[in-house]
Amino acid sequence: MKKLPVILGLLLTMLAFTACHDQPQWNDDPYGNFDALWTILDEHYPFFEYKDVDWEQVRVAYRAKISPKMTTTELFDLCGAMLKELRDGHVNLIASHDVSRYWIWEQYPVNYDERLVDEHYLHFDYRRASGIKYQILPNNFGYMYYGSFSSSVGEGNLDLVLNYLSTCDGLIIDVRSNGGGYLTNVEKFVGRFIEQSLHAGSIQHKTGPGHDELSKPYEYYFEPTKNHIHYLKPVVVLANRGSFSATNNFVSIMKQLPQVTIVGDTTGGGCGLPFTSELPNGWNVRFSASPIRDADGNLTEYGVAPDVRVDLTDADRLAGRDTYIDAACEILAKQTTK
Amino acid sequence: MSRRIIIAVALLWLGALALRADDSIEVQRPLSIMFMTDVGHASVLDSYLTPITYDGVDLRLSFDAMRACGNHNNWARQLNVAVQYDNVENNVGNNTMHNLAAQARWGMMRRWDDVTPAHLRFMVGPMAQLRGGAIYNPANSNNVVSIKGHASVGVTGMAVYNTHLAHRPLTLSYQLTMPVLGVFISPEYDESFYEIYLRDYRNITYVGGWGNRFDMENLLAADLRLGGTILRLGYRCCIERSWVSNINTHITTHSLVIGVGAELFTRRLSSSSSPACVSPLYHSDL
Repeated sequence: MKKLPVILGLLLTMLAFTACHDQPQWNDDPYGNFDALWTILDEHYPFFEYKDVDWEQVRVAYRAKISPKMTTTELFDLCGAMLKELRDGHVNLIASHDVSRYWIWEQYPVNYDERLVDEHYLHFDYRRASGIKYQILPNNFGYMYYGSFSSSVGEGNLDLVLNYLSTCDGLIIDVRSNGGGYLTNVEKFVGRFIEQSLHAGSIQHKTGPGHDELSKPYEYYFEPTKNHIHYLKPVVVLANRGSFSATNNFVSIMKQLPQVTIVGDTTGGGCGLPFTSELPNGWNVRFSASPIRDADGNLTEYGVAPDVRVDLTDADRLAGRDTYIDAACEILAKQTTK
Repeated sequence: MSRRIIIAVALLWLGALALRADDSIEVQRPLSIMFMTDVGHASVLDSYLTPITYDGVDLRLSFDAMRACGNHNNWARQLNVAVQYDNVENNVGNNTMHNLAAQARWGMMRRWDDVTPAHLRFMVGPMAQLRGGAIYNPANSNNVVSIKGHASVGVTGMAVYNTHLAHRPLTLSYQLTMPVLGVFISPEYDESFYEIYLRDYRNITYVGGWGNRFDMENLLAADLRLGGTILRLGYRCCIERSWVSNINTHITTHSLVIGVGAELFTRRLSSSSSPACVSPLYHSDL
């Protein structure tokens, strides 16, 4: 009986050590940094199965190319090439001398020319607030260009913009070449175009290092912004392959709305909310960690298809025509004359 | 800024007043207060932010108040509040993380005087602690911050030895504080705070025991009394470990402690009345 406190003490001490979990350590050499990078992706990346990527096979193939004496640049290029196997615009290796990337939109037609819009449609006469360029076109359709969801937008700014455009018969929201930004800004915008709670989609996250360890999808909803100006007339959203990440999310949500038409090209995709980690040599690696699905439960990693497909050719540009805006005006004209 | 300082001082004073309750005419129970500054080394690992351990500077400001309980002279109450900031960087020195935390702790300890050897006293008792803060990694994207919150109950204990140095009263003490059971918050493995912002509150609250969480604070102090002022020189070691949702947290600090304090009496001691005096740390006439 006298030994009971000792035994209890020992048991508690042993229990205390279970909270102390060893963290894997890698050497700061080519093999160590490669292994760290591969392991971080192996434990955190959620799309291996969806993209049918055999990550172990990738490791074997690329690790065989490492040599202990390879230069920093050679190692970076090798690691960057390995990451491209994931075909994900959110996956980057970031070093002081370069950023590896898989920006698929660079390989597609740009379909956007800012100068063309400014010169032939806005006539260099437009308003600008919180990263939003806006004006009323001669045909009384409103036009607003939002180039980045990273640009801070206040509810007051949106009120002023939408108040100015409120007399328009329809509205064109141009998010071409908008590479994304804050999802909270997506909610802020969408809240101005809905009258009731909207099922925006679902979000998941990895719950552990296993490839299939994913949380049950959490369905999320956007609410109409209270006590602020709403725009409920016909809307056309212009998107291209450069509409990536948060913009891809914005397009997928706006596409659900009955008064909204998506015009242009398939968006650039990128439906995984990115996290960042780090290698022993100080390089950062960004990767998709949290899949976001649309309201129908689909992953939009490879983009959202438009309702109306349009291309902008060099000939159009030379003729001073933005076929995206022209198509949008035609659609709005039809909808407003019904 | 000055308003905040006034509010902070007022809160500390209210905490001290709480310890003043139950004063009696016959026995003086001075309130021992101590303001401390810690400077030292911090080692921070939070695998939600990075798998790399960061090292750097640990800074802490803290206030400690202690008093014998009224009618129960063998018991003492202690209040401790602290603010901690760690500025740490990775091994290659190209990124800095910031760890900011605040804590408040209230404890009650049973005192045993003159345990062999003479003048050595022990105190042990329960404590309750609230601790919260955040680790910020500016290089990250949607895992830019790891928010911490921990409410716990546990044990705290002290060994105190009163002696003299150059004819001045010197008190050597060692205090160990260990939360045993509590509740703490943590995102899941790769759960973003954006998802929590969307009101997904599933699996972010955990019961913390020694199986998934281990915290310990050690304080070794030497208090030299110079008239009414007490100067403290000490060493503090804090250990924080947790392993939940496959997220690993290791925070360890080793710091030099410099403090200034005093014993506050509710009325002036006079030689004619010679009231008995009970101080958990420095002396005791009962």
